[in-house]
Amino acid sequence: MSEEAVLARIEAAVGEIAESKGAAQPKVSASSRMLGGELPIDSLDLATIVLRLDTETGQRPFEDGFIEFHTAGELAKLYSQP
Amino acid sequence: MSLLRAALDASAEVPFVLNTFGCVRRSSILDAADRLKQQLADRKIQRLLLQSNDPAQIVAALVACADAHTDLVIAHDYLDRGLIDRVIEDVSVDAVACQEVGHIRAVPGAGGSSEPASGKVLLMTSGTTGVPKVAAHTLDKLLDRIRATSSVESNVGGRWLLTYQPTGFAGLQVILTACLTSGSVVIASDRTPSEFAEAVERHAVTHISGTATFWRSFLVARRGLLAGGSTSPGSLRQITLGGEAVDQTLLDRLAAAFPDTRITQIYASTEGGALFAVHDQKEGFPAAWLEQGVQGSRLRVVDDELQVLSPRKMLGYASGQASPISGDGWLGTGDLVRVDQDRVRFVGRRDALINIAGSKVFPNEIETFLLSLPGITEAKVRGVPSPITGQAVLAEIVVEKGTDAEPVRRATMQSCRSQLARHKVPSMIRVLPAIEVSPSGKKA
Repeated sequence: MSEEAVLARIEAAVGEIAESKGAAQPKVSASSRMLGGELPIDSLDLATIVLRLDTETGQRPFEDGFIEFHTAGELAKLYSQP
Repeated sequence: MSLLRAALDASAEVPFVLNTFGCVRRSSILDAADRLKQQLADRKIQRLLLQSNDPAQIVAALVACADAHTDLVIAHDYLDRGLIDRVIEDVSVDAVACQEVGHIRAVPGAGGSSEPASGKVLLMTSGTTGVPKVAAHTLDKLLDRIRATSSVESNVGGRWLLTYQPTGFAGLQVILTACLTSGSVVIASDRTPSEFAEAVERHAVTHISGTATFWRSFLVARRGLLAGGSTSPGSLRQITLGGEAVDQTLLDRLAAAFPDTRITQIYASTEGGALFAVHDQKEGFPAAWLEQGVQGSRLRVVDDELQVLSPRKMLGYASGQASPISGDGWLGTGDLVRVDQDRVRFVGRRDALINIAGSKVFPNEIETFLLSLPGITEAKVRGVPSPITGQAVLAEIVVEKGTDAEPVRRATMQSCRSQLARHKVPSMIRVLPAIEVSPSGKKA
């Protein structure tokens, strides 16, 4: 899956969480900081998003330990296929 | 004469095993026991291992070993050769009974047990997570609780469906109960919900003991049979649940499906033996038992864990692992409980605890919630590794036959979000055709 495709998945997942909370649909771009306050998600939601990406992409970038990421773009890069 | 032999002798022509091919009478079990006893004596066998799922062979071996004062190790048939060899070495087995208990072969180079044989019965834990532990019991203690209830009229001459692995503690309790009560053990042609339901009808089964997971699948399979124009299995006199925490939803569904049947929850373990039975059709057990004790056992709660002081506990592990029984005889069960006023409820196994960013979550609590929702027939919750929160909650559900899965999944997620504490909401809900079941009948 390309970086753009993964980013679209992240946006869809964030959108679904926002909807369940009754929040407005956020715009997610590569520079959106995942836990920076601009997206209506917390760490529990982020755990959910990562689990979804594991399933949807078939990639397990965190299998051997945590890799630092801050933005949606950095997360998408971890899950994209080179 | 051993109690077991006397019980078989007293009703020698009553079938003991009923299966698709016919029946095995008690008299032929006694014949097999006599042949084995002779071999054990001739060859001075101290510790025999039997690997068989056949209740007739298990009973024959129990009778022969009791007579010959030989220790008997009852091994699960699903364990591979390597694990069996480990057990043979660890517990100093000197002979193995093959398919026919009449034929035994010596273990080459066996040094013999360090302690004298005394007719002990050695039972394995499930071994699903590595080398099984082997718990030593006396036959007398294994029969203790059964003896106390064997005179109950509704128990005499019963036909017991064997839902458990025959070689595990619970399976053996069912087999021994049938032995002592002139009953028969009914074997389904396959250990699947539909075959179990079929066997219940075919043999007019009167007693069924199974895990909560078994009972949920049985209710579904039975509905299939009923829908197929089959008559209701009105023969059922006794429903027993054990081996897993039982939720109120299941108890209520069973009571509605079988209004005239007694429903009993039993609490037992390979290490602690048969502990107590609850008959009031409410989940958990009365808190008063923590003060008064129950059925010969004393109970206490330490750090949320249920501990028991049981007159029927094992002698110890024969396999060398550290005993979970402390010096003063108390056994930590690994079951965590919560005391709510007059009731003690099971919240989950200590080793199943999920840690979500430092908050504890019990799979059992979420499973119970999911099972109370419409359209869900089975649920399994577990923790999966998460780089963000340490673990995340993954729920797997089975939806009612003929229901569209996706709407149920969405509605379930919505219910979780609106009714569960934030950290207990599953990160993901998957719909599966079935939940995997371990050989012991519990959710794998």
